[in-house]
Formats: sequence, structure tokens, C-alpha cells
Amino acid sequence: MKRLGLLAGAALVYVLAAWSVAPGFYDGFGPPQLYNWTCPPPQAGANTKPTAGHGELKVTKGVNEAGTVFTNDAQIVIGFLPGAFDATGKTSISVDITPFDTCPQPSGIKFVTNVYKITANANLIQEANVTMLYSNLEPDPSNMYLATDPAGPWTSIPTSQTAQTFTITGHTSTLGYFAAGYPVTSKPSNSITVGGGQLLPIIVAVLIVVVVLAGLPLAVLRRRSSGAAAEEEDGEN
Amino acid sequence: MFGAYVLAVEWARALIQSHAPFTGAALLLGGAALSVTALGWPRERLGLGTSRFALRILGGLALGAVLLLPAAARWGGGPVLPAGLAAAAVAVSIGEEIAFRGALYTALDDLGGAPLAIAGSTLLWTLAHALSHPPAFLGAVAAAGLMLALWRWACKDLVAPIIGHVIADTAL
Repeated sequence: MKRLGLLAGAALVYVLAAWSVAPGFYDGFGPPQLYNWTCPPPQAGANTKPTAGHGELKVTKGVNEAGTVFTNDAQIVIGFLPGAFDATGKTSISVDITPFDTCPQPSGIKFVTNVYKITANANLIQEANVTMLYSNLEPDPSNMYLATDPAGPWTSIPTSQTAQTFTITGHTSTLGYFAAGYPVTSKPSNSITVGGGQLLPIIVAVLIVVVVLAGLPLAVLRRRSSGAAAEEEDGEN
Repeated sequence: MFGAYVLAVEWARALIQSHAPFTGAALLLGGAALSVTALGWPRERLGLGTSRFALRILGGLALGAVLLLPAAARWGGGPVLPAGLAAAAVAVSIGEEIAFRGALYTALDDLGGAPLAIAGSTLLWTLAHALSHPPAFLGAVAAAGLMLALWRWACKDLVAPIIGHVIADTAL
């Protein structure tokens, strides 16, 4: 009985300790990729708001120099090649990245990152590369989307694979609003489903039901067998 | 010496698996390297006997439910485990249980009895996760290790911790 009490106490301590970290204990593959959310999902736990970024690209002889601009939390980085902007009459190009303060969910698309607005004081005339970090609390994005207005329409832009984990890189010739996600008509790219996804509460519920349903007959059997043993002992005495 | 080997395997695994192309291999090899610690121990001494097997399996399901309960209670959808990593997750879960609650627990039990076995295996289990988890997670890691070690002591069983650990790692 004492052992059972200690076990129950340890289980309670575990539940309290795991509750204090999101998503509630993680093992095997390391903890979630940290991400600063505009609209954190319920399992994200404590959240820090995403930050903005600003950068200046020098212009030499009418051509901007290569450079990257990123937010302070490095959740989005945009890289420009020399001559990417129409720099006529400018001595520098100013680029700003701002996290959009709401979370649009356009029809047919599921965003898994914040939406960021990227602006510049010159027109983009060559392709730029946008790299976005994403969290592993959501399914991996398969696409990067661009819109000139957050209300849409959102269009998918070409993407390429990156060596860095939890990032997606898109190629754009237009600045505007950017987000990564996947079409809701298709399964997310990492979706096989041994576990996780939407299944976790179901898995736990099934485990509890099985333990209770199978445990009761086993407990009754054990009680009967120990009762029978006690009666035998009494009979012998 | 034994603890140092287990720690070295776990830390090496944590460092290698953080590089995406090697994650599956690191987990599989790490699980195998941890399982090696069972060599030389009689099965029963590791808690791998077959008596009351139904109860052991049931205990494993219960431990799995407890390990997953905090996450499930506030789940809003989340990452899914790529199929290629599922086998690796099973391998490393079994390897960790065999190493920490199996061989290490038994060695410490021989050395200083159950209190040392429970405390020592929990401490090393927590240290083993220090590279793969930020400090904020280590309290939950330690509490999970303590619960599994107490089960090992109370029921003299390793089958249930293995089942519970495998369920938790593949489901979350």
C-alpha cells in the first residue's frame, strides 16, 4: 500500500512538473522549436511576441549592394542580390519587416507561421530570397504565400529546400505580406501519423479506458485468488 | 564507469540527432548502444520476467497515459512523428529503459539498495537529457524518471516502463 502511495505521489509530481512546460513534457526528439507567435497555439505555453526588423542597403553608382534584413528574433530573413532594387536617385535602400498583428486564415490555406509585412522605399526588380522559421508545434509548411493585402488573395511562391531545419525559403519578385503554410485540401508534408497531430487526446483516452476496463477484471481475479488462498489457510488451521 | 558510458551515449546521441539528416540513425544507434548494457544480466534481475505479464502490460498502458496526460489535456494539434522516425523512437525508448531502469538500476541496487538505485538512476536520467532539453524541461524529465524508477522498485518490473516510454515517445 505504501508503495502504491509513493507511485501515485510520483505520478502527481510528474503531472504538475510536466504541466509547467509546454507542450507538457517532450522526450526523444528534443523540445519544440522555439517560436515567437502572434497568435500562439494552445500547446505553445508562455509566448513572447515576434519582433520587427529594419535594414539599410547601400547604393553605389546606382546599384544596391547585396545584403540581408531580418527581424531581431531571426524568424524571417530576406536576402537581396546587387541590383535587386530600382535604386535610381537613392543613396541607400531602407527595408522594414513588421509582424502583422492579427492572424488571417484565408480559405483553403492553413498558415503555420506569423504573417510578416516586408516593405522597402524602392521597387524590387530582381528576385529576393525570403527564409522563414517555423515551429514544430504545427505541421511543416509545404508552401510560402505572398499577398499585397492581408485580406488576400494569397498566392503560393516558388520555394526551395534549406539545409537548416525548421526553415522554408521562398523566392519573390514582389514585396508584401508573407506567411508559410499548406493547402488545407492536402495533407501537411510531414503527416504520417504514428502519433501527435490531432490524435493525442484520443490516444490518452483509449489508454485510460483500456486500463480501467482490463484492470477491473484483473483486480477481481487477484482478489478472488488471494481470498481463496486465505480460506485455504483458515481451513488448514 | 557504467554511468559514464550511458551518459556518453546519450549526450553523443543528442548532439548528433540535432543534425536533421542524422536524426534517425542517431536514435537507432543510440538505442542499440544503450541496449548493450543489458548484456550479462539475467533477464529477471533487469525486471524483464514474464510472471503476471498481463498486469505488466496494463501497467505500461497506465504509465503511458500518465506520461501523456499533461500534453493531451491542453492539446490543440501539433507535430506528427514522421514514419521513418517511428522505429527509431521505439529503439531509443527501449534502449533508455534497459539502460536506466534496467542495468543501471540493478547495478546501483546491488551497490546501495533501492534508495540509491531510485535516486541514482533518476539523477543520471536527468543529466542524460541535459543536452537535448533546455533547463526548463529538466524538472519534468526528472519527475518522469522518478516515477518510472519507483514503478521499477514497487513492481520489480521493467516491462511497464518500456511500454509506457514507447507509447509516450511515439505519440508525442
